[in-house]
Amino acid sequence: MNNNTPKKYWRGLPELHQSEEFLQQHQNEFAEEIPLDNSKDEGLKTNRRDFLKLMGFSTAAVALASCETPVNRVVPYVVKPEEIIPGVPNYYASTFYDGHDFASILVKAREGRPIKIDGNELSSINKGKTTARTQASILGLYDGARLNAPILNGKSVSWKEIDAAVKKALSEGSVRLLTSTVISPSLKALIQELSTTINDFKHIQWDEVSYSAIRSAHQKLIGKNIIPEYHFDKAKLIVGIACDFLGNWLNPVEFSREYALNRKVSKEAAEMSRHYHFESNMSLTGANADYRYMVKPSEFGKILVALYNAIAEKTGTNKLADANIQNKTIASAINKISEELIAHKGQSLVVCGVNDENLQAIVIGINQLLENYSKTIDTTITYHLKSGSDSDFLSLVEEMNAGKVKTLITYQVNPLYSAPAFTKFEDAYTKVTNKIHATNYLDETAQKANIVLANHHYLESWGDANPKTGIYTLQQPLIRPVFAAPKYEGTRQFEENLLAWTNKSEDYYTYIRNYWKANIFNLQNKDADFETFWVNALHDGIFESNPTILSEVVSSKENKKEDKKKGNKTNEESPKEKIELSTFASNAVSAKSADFELMVYEKVGMGNGNQSNNPWLMELPDPISKVVWDNYITVSLEDMDKLGFEKMLRQDKDGSIATLELNGIKIEVPVLPQPGQAPGTIGLALGYGRNAQTLKVAHQIGVNAYPFIQNSNGHFVTVSTGVKLSNTGKKHEFAQNQLQHTVMGREEWILREVSLPEFKAKDKEAFNPAAVILTAEGKKPVEEVDLWDQHPRPNHKWGLTIDMNACIGCSACVVSCSIENNVHVVGKEEVRKTRDMFWLRIDRYYSSDMTRKKAKEEGIGYKEMNLEMENPSANPKVTFQPIMCQHCNHAPCETVCPVLATAHSTEGLNQMVYNRCIGTRYCANNCPFKVRRFNWFNYTENWRFKDVNPAAQELTRMVLNPDVTVRSRGVIEKCSMCQQRIQAGKLQAKKEGRKLQDKDIQTACQQACPTNAIIFGDLNDENSEVVAWRKNERNYVLLEELGIRPTVSYLLKVRNVDEPLLDWNEELWYEKDKSEKSSNKEEAHA
Amino acid sequence: MNIKFSASVLLLFFTQIFFAQNADNGAKLFKQNCAVCHASHSDQKLTGPGLKGVFDRVPKPADEWLTKWILNNEKLIKSGDAYANKIYNENNKAAMTVFEGQLSENDVKDILAFLKAPPPASKNTPVAQSDNKQTSTAETEKSKGSNYLLIFLVIFVLVVLWISLRNVRIALQNVVNVKTGKPIYEPQSIGDEIKEWLVKNNRLVFVLSLIIVFVGMKSCWDELWKVGVYYDWKTQKGYKPEQPIKFSHKIHAGDNEIACQYCHNGVEKSKHSGIPTVNICMNCHKGIQEGHNTGKAEKAKIYAAAGYDPSTGKYDESKANPIRWIKVYNLPDHVYFSHQQHVVVGKLQCEQCHGNVKEMDVIEQKNPLTMKWCINCHRETEVQMAGNPYYDRLHAYLKEKYKGKRDVKFTVEKIGGLECGKCHY
Repeated sequence: MNNNTPKKYWRGLPELHQSEEFLQQHQNEFAEEIPLDNSKDEGLKTNRRDFLKLMGFSTAAVALASCETPVNRVVPYVVKPEEIIPGVPNYYASTFYDGHDFASILVKAREGRPIKIDGNELSSINKGKTTARTQASILGLYDGARLNAPILNGKSVSWKEIDAAVKKALSEGSVRLLTSTVISPSLKALIQELSTTINDFKHIQWDEVSYSAIRSAHQKLIGKNIIPEYHFDKAKLIVGIACDFLGNWLNPVEFSREYALNRKVSKEAAEMSRHYHFESNMSLTGANADYRYMVKPSEFGKILVALYNAIAEKTGTNKLADANIQNKTIASAINKISEELIAHKGQSLVVCGVNDENLQAIVIGINQLLENYSKTIDTTITYHLKSGSDSDFLSLVEEMNAGKVKTLITYQVNPLYSAPAFTKFEDAYTKVTNKIHATNYLDETAQKANIVLANHHYLESWGDANPKTGIYTLQQPLIRPVFAAPKYEGTRQFEENLLAWTNKSEDYYTYIRNYWKANIFNLQNKDADFETFWVNALHDGIFESNPTILSEVVSSKENKKEDKKKGNKTNEESPKEKIELSTFASNAVSAKSADFELMVYEKVGMGNGNQSNNPWLMELPDPISKVVWDNYITVSLEDMDKLGFEKMLRQDKDGSIATLELNGIKIEVPVLPQPGQAPGTIGLALGYGRNAQTLKVAHQIGVNAYPFIQNSNGHFVTVSTGVKLSNTGKKHEFAQNQLQHTVMGREEWILREVSLPEFKAKDKEAFNPAAVILTAEGKKPVEEVDLWDQHPRPNHKWGLTIDMNACIGCSACVVSCSIENNVHVVGKEEVRKTRDMFWLRIDRYYSSDMTRKKAKEEGIGYKEMNLEMENPSANPKVTFQPIMCQHCNHAPCETVCPVLATAHSTEGLNQMVYNRCIGTRYCANNCPFKVRRFNWFNYTENWRFKDVNPAAQELTRMVLNPDVTVRSRGVIEKCSMCQQRIQAGKLQAKKEGRKLQDKDIQTACQQACPTNAIIFGDLNDENSEVVAWRKNERNYVLLEELGIRPTVSYLLKVRNVDEPLLDWNEELWYEKDKSEKSSNKEEAHA
Repeated sequence: MNIKFSASVLLLFFTQIFFAQNADNGAKLFKQNCAVCHASHSDQKLTGPGLKGVFDRVPKPADEWLTKWILNNEKLIKSGDAYANKIYNENNKAAMTVFEGQLSENDVKDILAFLKAPPPASKNTPVAQSDNKQTSTAETEKSKGSNYLLIFLVIFVLVVLWISLRNVRIALQNVVNVKTGKPIYEPQSIGDEIKEWLVKNNRLVFVLSLIIVFVGMKSCWDELWKVGVYYDWKTQKGYKPEQPIKFSHKIHAGDNEIACQYCHNGVEKSKHSGIPTVNICMNCHKGIQEGHNTGKAEKAKIYAAAGYDPSTGKYDESKANPIRWIKVYNLPDHVYFSHQQHVVVGKLQCEQCHGNVKEMDVIEQKNPLTMKWCINCHRETEVQMAGNPYYDRLHAYLKEKYKGKRDVKFTVEKIGGLECGKCHY
């Protein structure tokens, strides 16, 4: 047969020649050797085939292993403490004071470990409310970065050795103790006792964010070195000059509550306070003002003097130096404000947040002109917070430089991080022989100190505080020290150190008790014996003295002091020559303007930076800029253009980096465009740029702003002029959790607002109309059109209402929600990918110059209008809107879930079932509010989140709420309206066999909110507060036209401005609809 | 006269019955309130003195004095009663609980009646019984194993029989073939023969294989349902691990009738019923140092955990070490279950979920703890709405909704007890 085939085909010469080599190769399946062993050469332990085999085996093994019973151990106490029942939380009253913030708190503990902090309702300062920083402070307790042993010359040693070393140092004399303000009367007494045992001892109080100018101005004008009490609730008119009293200034939780009291309006009570604000940075307070003016820091003095002059002129008093204000809008505003201020004599309040004596003196002058003292300002009750003195600090540095200080003890301050550059503290510090630093962390100062005393966290310590005249609080330990023997040498509270050094055998608890017995027990006449008084005070966490008894005791003490003084030194203590206001005024007016002026500010989350290692605060979006995990300078849009910085920040467009230069300090810092930033000014936040490696969370995030703080007549002022700014051309990645600045002309659906005159004059239909929909039977209110049947809500119908007039954007609710519901912290990279996990976010919207009305009038096309609408105004109006799951009664998410993992309850809640969810994310796509969050990772186990996520570390995991599931990878999560609290509240009522009362259940956000802007309750209960709120004419729901029937409602924002704000609906569908209706009516009549 | 007499006889009769009941009630009260510190019919001193012969010791009239002492010993001591102070000092001034408010005078009478009555007979028999039971269950398990072996053997025998019969058949066939002159039958290989048979009976094979596949899948499916469930519906047997201490619920809750809440005292206050802490064990076992089943060995473990030295009667806290019990009733982390909800509000008995613990020497999971099981109960259990004002609104609504319908139960399901968010959050 072969012979019959004449043609032969071959695939190359080797086959043609049939060489031996070819024949052999021909036999093999593959032409070349299979590189079975090559992979081993590359450092891999297995090759591909082995890998597949192994994978097969391991899969089978895992499958088999998963079928085995896991053995769970249950370990009861040996002797159960009487008050602890596993599963039932205990609450203890205590005090939070970290040298910067003060709060009277109630701590929730489960099985002996603190898990949540809320305000103490018995305290007149907190009234059950807290700030974001107070909420977050609990995580510091479980922070693994904390020191667990004292350090002597770089080595961990025992406390005995430390005590010996310190005692030796103290015996040498020339000791200085540098602390932030001490508000603990017991600690003050203890320091006093210590001072008597030491040769040449001085206690210097210095606040990193200083308020010394208010005190010295009061000293010079009124003769008292005080910060008086401010009554924002009594003020009908508030004028603020760079004073962030809602966010950070002095005691924001108290001020914001009082401020909000006069902002909640209804038709029945349609009066609200008016708030004017002058500032350079866009602050939280400025964002809430009715009128906000952008001015340079150098103009603050001029504005105050001009305001003083305008009032003086109208009331016939002597004027001060001429302010000479060039800006016409500012000048006319000052004229208008002065008139209103005179009309509100004794009902107004002027406050200034700049630590400049001249400015503070003029503020006092204005308030005196307006007769505000003893009405809205009370000098008999004073703040004991922030009583540090900057000049004392400066003289300390001088002494240190002169070598007069042998031992320096620092506590609750971190001067190597926070001392301004001009003080050259770092050089002075090296000249001290014994550098003792008491701290929780191995921070910047601790790195340079000889002796580092490891402090207790405040939840492990005893203590007391006297933040304000007549208010005494107690601090009690909630837990045994986390770092303690035998595993660690352990921590010790600072006061115990002092007791050890004074050779006292008593512990600090006994010391406080004795102090209270001797000094505070007599401030009351309610309890006859001390034991009862002490137990009550400890239970309540607070003792507020009766004012009459207090004044008696105080005056008798003062008399004694005065007698003593008179007896001893006659001339020295006589009040200094009274300085005339005019001197201050001429100083204030003479401030020189510069091209760029820097104002350093505090962020709501970060504060002065002593909590910067807290991931909750790092991930908390700044309420104005919405930036997380970052520090940056804020620059006006105008200056951004001039210097060529990148204005449009998006995920794909990075920000610019600038060089900031002042008096030889030169830093590179990212730039953020900030609407509302005064042109020619720069803002930079404190608390970042930590340079201590042990602070794993905060290390090298952002830049340190403290060096930029300047000296102004012995007061540290946050303003510095003459800053040079230039573009480096480098790029920086920002992480923001809101990139959209405006509502893009959708005010009627999302953000309704109205001016106070309009609110008073018009009826509800005009400013808060119900949405209508076009049907076959004509236009109908959305309420009446329904695709689905209504479901019965036979027992409860939970509802949440948010008053946007009261919401100031302070973000306490956000932190509270995250803690209560174990919300994951994901870090900067994930936030950049819009994968933040917040169940509750606060949307911040700027107003735009472009409106639909304007576009219509000027004939601007639709596209151009929309493009222009994206840009916020140069000085925009700001609105904060907390958004959580709206628990829609016709929820779009529920209809698209393929596995019924989200469903509605008979109590009106939209429930998310994690164990059912398969992670299709259809629901997140279909949610019009974008409140559903997807778990992209198993955050608790993934190494990427080890440093940032509290749930990922063994120690910080202690803070998790055991009543709420920690979500794993692949499931959606969202606000549950604190379902665990609802269930607990219902159970309590059932157990007690009673009806559920209105305030039995509070959501975490509601509980934290300092302004009471959030109310939760049963809509089926006619007497509940939430129902009362919803009867307000301001009540509306978001995106009403979609017919999704949200359970959460909002009270629209009323601004106390004279100009009309209702242009968003006058020209539009509402007018048309109204005319249609009226024509319908006419027809009916005919 | 007659009537009077018979009445008095009747009265006597009733009082006797009454008396007997009193002693029983007294025994119960004694167990609940006194047994922790006092031995009833012996001299043994626990926390307090043994009460044998107590009526002879105390000042007369004994009943009156004892009543005063039991109700409020503090008052009696303060009043300066000589004997009361003597007792107080003899017992290291350890104060006895004041029972005023907890016990009525009649209760005290009952307790005294119990103390006067002869000591109850000890119960040793049940232990042996329970041992028997254990061995018998072990036997049944063994016999089950042998069953499988038997089946295997039968199959093996059948296969051998089939092969040999086949060979016999072929041999006989060939003998016949040789005789009839037909060619000798060449036997096919067994495999080929089976193949041939399969091809011949392809319909039967198809149906059979369908059944096999179906049964296989069904049993796979059933097995999958049991992943993570440690309970066998058929045998009603569940997870029964060996605990670090051979604690017998039968002896404690069954024989000695200690109320569940005495040890699991969180059940009415918390979501957890609570595993008793060692100090609760010590309340009794300070006195009861030897067990029926296990002698002193297991008690020694309690003492080790408590850091207690029975020879000196002193505690050393530094040596205390909690007992690491093995959890039997495990629920997944994403389930919120509250004992107080079910026990206080739902008024369920412990046995409904935990089985008859009183008869378990080793505690065993008696219910599957699956969601199906939870939900079934929620579907069937009626909510006790009447008398609880919390339910007023719901009750009115349901009555209105099911007006005129018969046999409607207002179950947990009807008030939203099947909603996901009630247990998962």
